[in-house]
Amino acid sequence: MSNVLFLSLSILLLHKLKTMTAAPRITILLEGEGGTYQPGETLAGEYWVDGLEPEQVKAVEVSVLWHTEGKGEEDLAVHDFWRYEADHGRPFLSRIGGPFSTVLPAGPLSYDGWIVKIKWCVRVRVFPRHGREVVGERGFLLGDVQRPPELKPTTD
Amino acid sequence: MFRGFRFYAKKRGHRQTWSPKLGSLGEALFFGVFLLFGCGGLAVMIVTLLAPEWRANHDFIQTTCKVLDKRIGHTQGEDGMLYRPEFKVSYSASGEVNTTWTTYDIHKTYFSSLAYAQGVLERFDIYSPERDNRYPCWYDPNDSCTVVLVRGYSWWAWALLAVPVSFIVIGFGGLVYALLTWGKSAERRAAPARRMEESRLFPSNGSTAASAWPDFLPDGVDLTNSPGTKLRYRLPMATSPGWMLFGLLAFCFVWNGILLVGVVMTAADFFSGYPNWFQTVFIIPFAVVGIGALFFLVRQLMITLGVGPTRVEISDHPLHPNGNYRVFLSQSGHLTVEKLSVFLLCEEEAVFREGTSTRTETRPVFRQEIFRREGFEIQSGLPFEAEFELTVPAGAMHSFAAKHNKINWRLVVEGRIARWPDVKRAFPIIVHPAPAQT
Repeated sequence: MSNVLFLSLSILLLHKLKTMTAAPRITILLEGEGGTYQPGETLAGEYWVDGLEPEQVKAVEVSVLWHTEGKGEEDLAVHDFWRYEADHGRPFLSRIGGPFSTVLPAGPLSYDGWIVKIKWCVRVRVFPRHGREVVGERGFLLGDVQRPPELKPTTD
Repeated sequence: MFRGFRFYAKKRGHRQTWSPKLGSLGEALFFGVFLLFGCGGLAVMIVTLLAPEWRANHDFIQTTCKVLDKRIGHTQGEDGMLYRPEFKVSYSASGEVNTTWTTYDIHKTYFSSLAYAQGVLERFDIYSPERDNRYPCWYDPNDSCTVVLVRGYSWWAWALLAVPVSFIVIGFGGLVYALLTWGKSAERRAAPARRMEESRLFPSNGSTAASAWPDFLPDGVDLTNSPGTKLRYRLPMATSPGWMLFGLLAFCFVWNGILLVGVVMTAADFFSGYPNWFQTVFIIPFAVVGIGALFFLVRQLMITLGVGPTRVEISDHPLHPNGNYRVFLSQSGHLTVEKLSVFLLCEEEAVFREGTSTRTETRPVFRQEIFRREGFEIQSGLPFEAEFELTVPAGAMHSFAAKHNKINWRLVVEGRIARWPDVKRAFPIIVHPAPAQT
């Protein structure tokens, strides 16, 4: 009984190790090293995917978006969106990746509040032909809003 | 930097982190079942209610009948006995004389009221050869034994259609939504549809960047459609005291009305010498709430009627960080004011689910007193007026409104008035990002 258990655990561990080593990796680079950007500025960068061959990929989505974090349910809005699909029988030709560029909007500005936080990021989502989606993110700041001081909270 | 697609993951807040594909499948199944129920229900209703009624009105052939006998039929319903009029009739159909027991209408309707069924029964007299009393009736040409003494449409049968039709609308709508969003990422769903142009094989221009004025700012139309008398705009109050008073009044009326019934019943038990102690203890917390609501109503009434209207005007709107503005305050009434202050307030607001309820939490993140006056009288017909300056702090966050998260700016007038409850009135304002940043 214990041998069977040991064997099962070993197989599971080996499978986990295999998937860990084979996990695709998304790299996103931003011009200006992902610092602070002002509304109206151009956000440009590049992304690429390691660990996946072009013919293994069905589609790639690149989004420049903001989403909220904190106490409330998440709100999300996409400022800019690109979707690249490999046609049937015509896979991606070279490595998975490429440049992107967008003019940043007037807002909402990045905000690090107490119960509401607004985060901007570039998100790359890769859809392999087989297996799980892979998501990579790179955050950046839009505007330079100061963090508010702590005041006494009130709840309804 | 990357994270894999997982069937299970740690939940953040109250968000579902199951596989999106499984989620879509569950959603489609849920709405599919709704649609199926709706279609099934509609089919059953058409076959059993609407089609027979329509046939009775259009296909049945009119003739006359003799009522040979009549009786009240009855059956046991869920809420008691049900009754219907039944008649033994004789009529000619396709050259033959048929004699059969029939009900009044095509639905063979049972009534909960015996008197009503009796009333229908009495409208038809037993046939007597002397009078030769006959009544119009309609028989089914496909089955001459099916005959009715009345035709027409029942409103309730058509009203019942609303049930399966609503199931169909919800199920179909949900199913279409689930199929349209099937396998689509959250970003793809959130990308504005009008600008969505799917591209293939690394196009040179697949961007869908937004260019219109963004939706993250709250709508400020109501804040600028009322001109001021001293300054450019008169700001509306966040919650009209009249509406609050009406809401409180309605609550007090309903709550205390129901409570009164319980109190009377409890008191009657006491006076009869058989007090119901369980009922008495049970009613106490409800009575406390009722009395509290009455107290709050009286307090609100005093504030609304006793403290006159507060008017706030502003020199420009929307506001910007580091911007300077003039504010005009007018307070009417006949009051001895101990302190009157105006605050510039910024609050974060988050809406979240907790179990099955939705909660809203607000947290002030900026509060600055921009005006204060102490110890003065306001005479009737001579409102207190003051004009002062307001500066929105540089580097402050702008107003923000999303579905679940908000950042609200407002001017709050707080008054401490002798012999009156404290007054607090809020006037929303909108702060845009600094012009230099846009």
